[in-house]
Amino acid sequence: MVNAVLKFVACCRTAGYRISTSEVVDCISQLELIDMLDEEGFRAVLRANFAKSRREQAQFDRLYHLYFHELRQDIDLDDPESMTERMEDVLRTLQEQANGNRAQRAILDFLQGDPMGFLEIMRRLQTEEVDMSQGRKFNLGPLASRLQVMVQLNDVKGRVERVLEENPFHYAADTRRNLARRFESQLERAYELLLREARPHNESLRQVRTHEQYLRQLGERPFTSLTPREIEQVREVIDRLVRKLKDIMSRRYASSSRGVLDVKKTLRRADRYLGVPMEIRFRKKPPKKGKVVTLCDISSSVWAAARFMLNILYSLQECFTKVNSFVFVSGLAEVTEIFENEEINHAIEKVLKDVDIDYLAQTDYGETFRQFRDRHMDALNKKTTLIIIGDARSNYFHPEDRILEEMREKCRRLIWLNPEPEGSWNTGDSEMFAYKPHCHELRECRNLNQLVDFVEELIL
Amino acid sequence: MFTSVADVQDKLEKADYITSREIATVVFLAAATNKPVLVEGPAGVGKTELAKAVSRSLGLQLIRLQCYEGLDEAKALYEWEYAKQLLYTQMVKEKIQDVIAGAKTLSDAVEKIASQEDAFFSERFIQPRPLLQAITSEKPVVLLIDEVDKSDPEFEAFLLELLSDFQVSIPEIGTKKAVKIPFVVLTSNNYRDMSDALKRRCIHIYIDYPEKDLELKIVRLKIPGIGQRLSDRLVEAIRAIRNLDLKKKPCISETLDWARSLMALSAEELTSEVLVDTLNMICKYKADAEAVKANIEGIVN
Repeated sequence: MVNAVLKFVACCRTAGYRISTSEVVDCISQLELIDMLDEEGFRAVLRANFAKSRREQAQFDRLYHLYFHELRQDIDLDDPESMTERMEDVLRTLQEQANGNRAQRAILDFLQGDPMGFLEIMRRLQTEEVDMSQGRKFNLGPLASRLQVMVQLNDVKGRVERVLEENPFHYAADTRRNLARRFESQLERAYELLLREARPHNESLRQVRTHEQYLRQLGERPFTSLTPREIEQVREVIDRLVRKLKDIMSRRYASSSRGVLDVKKTLRRADRYLGVPMEIRFRKKPPKKGKVVTLCDISSSVWAAARFMLNILYSLQECFTKVNSFVFVSGLAEVTEIFENEEINHAIEKVLKDVDIDYLAQTDYGETFRQFRDRHMDALNKKTTLIIIGDARSNYFHPEDRILEEMREKCRRLIWLNPEPEGSWNTGDSEMFAYKPHCHELRECRNLNQLVDFVEELIL
Repeated sequence: MFTSVADVQDKLEKADYITSREIATVVFLAAATNKPVLVEGPAGVGKTELAKAVSRSLGLQLIRLQCYEGLDEAKALYEWEYAKQLLYTQMVKEKIQDVIAGAKTLSDAVEKIASQEDAFFSERFIQPRPLLQAITSEKPVVLLIDEVDKSDPEFEAFLLELLSDFQVSIPEIGTKKAVKIPFVVLTSNNYRDMSDALKRRCIHIYIDYPEKDLELKIVRLKIPGIGQRLSDRLVEAIRAIRNLDLKKKPCISETLDWARSLMALSAEELTSEVLVDTLNMICKYKADAEAVKANIEGIVN
């Protein structure tokens, strides 16, 4: 039993789970306390110890099913021994032929009931990054490597058939049929694993669809269709909002709770009462403020919304310990300084004029995330709210949603604001479906009302 | 404590809490191996209630710590009672003369006072907060750390010592070990992800909206007078409403509230009119109510 669990743990780790030794020890000692023949209980124990968040459970269930159900060699009641033996005979012949080919060996191991190698290949497919050495970008990379594995699967399938046909072990006809059936169903499972990758559960995702109607007409106009006069009006509205929010915040800080005893002040006060500390003084506790990192897509379609967003955030700078901002199209640039040093409207102009970014390039979210990870990952910590403003239209480049997952793990909350109407998400080159499982909150943000709604909630 | 998984299910049911086997298994193991339980799930599925039910069924005291942003050690663990300390200092001022009476040199006097230091940093001046209460209690207790995802990362880090070794460190006094190891339940709404270190120390359970049969059982247990047919229809309807895309999905407590109001209206049958009349028991947002109204045919039938 212990062996089976250990092997399963090894599989889980290959598939990307972080399972510590102490968790394995816990699990095994807990298994001793329950009736192990009751599968539901057995599964519950494994799940409670190895998949410790809802996000991980979908993949865990898949692995569990694969390992404990699908790959278990069904025992033939008539002659249990010889069937498995025969399968092994066939596989051994194939192993010899496969010699150097790693993928093929992994597939053969999979057929023998050991999915480790195959899971590792899958894991590599999922985390693989675009090879930049070619200087040319395209999104066929992951597809192509997946195709290669499929070719190998087909190859193995063909060779199993050939071996059975040549029949070097002189099996009877129905044994051969049985063997063929069994191999086929195992290979089918490998295919399925490859094609249907389980996405993490993300039930806690907050998807905000409705919003308060603060302003009737102006509030509902999409940012992209504002006239210059209306832009002025929007700015005024934002100014008013900012003032209101600042008032609320300053009141909150004024009444914020006391900190620890201030010995110095208390003793000084005590002098007034002949050294008796009648009044106790406490240190003021600095209010906790959050840190914000924004990633703005500034390709033309999104910029209309992003500029107002930045406008608000920087007007409210004192509500946060720090606001870091980055802009991107096909590459990333930090613009924090511009916003800190310039008047807000100037800063927005300047971003468009001076920042070293190719505005005509095609938007590439994957590249942006890669650059962010390599250069700015330290901007994120557990107190940071990461706000990404973009339509997730990545021109069919590699979306790199795994990097977004890494970013999620580093920050407190990841909020995605999409300036497109929800109906058009997931259409065309939009990668929203790939990014969605990794967000804590997802909102449509295309007019003033929605923006105001979001900012109020962020701050208050 | 519990003797088996079935025993857990049995005892919790007696405490008016119906669980699935999976939840019962985890509770049993947590109790048997002294591990904290980390409970996740959507709002209103009875995460907090699980802890309460465990305390009821075992007859243990429940100590609850509600987490929020800005919660710190002084509010969760202990606080020195400065006022009391200072008052005592004043009151025993004269005594100091007695203590240093025989001292010849200044350093001798300091030495003598130093040996009395413990008098001021002793448990007498500590005001225990929930965590310290749970640790120092003579009888085992159930410790509920509610909505731990709302707390700050610092607080989470500080919980680690408590959860793995069942002890807390107070710098002036030393380490306090648990007298009796408490049964710890942490609940999380998934506002943010918990750290690996915290997860490693807990055993995890996800409570989802209950299966149909389980929910029926709950409705009939909590509202004994309800008819078979009505409760059937009611649970069906709630499940259909949960499938809609709502801002806030109705949870178990809303099912129960709704059932009670239907009973109060002595409705025998679940019709569209009855549903519309009682809709504000289920939907807490206007937009949600509209969505339900738009799909009312599918829900009632």
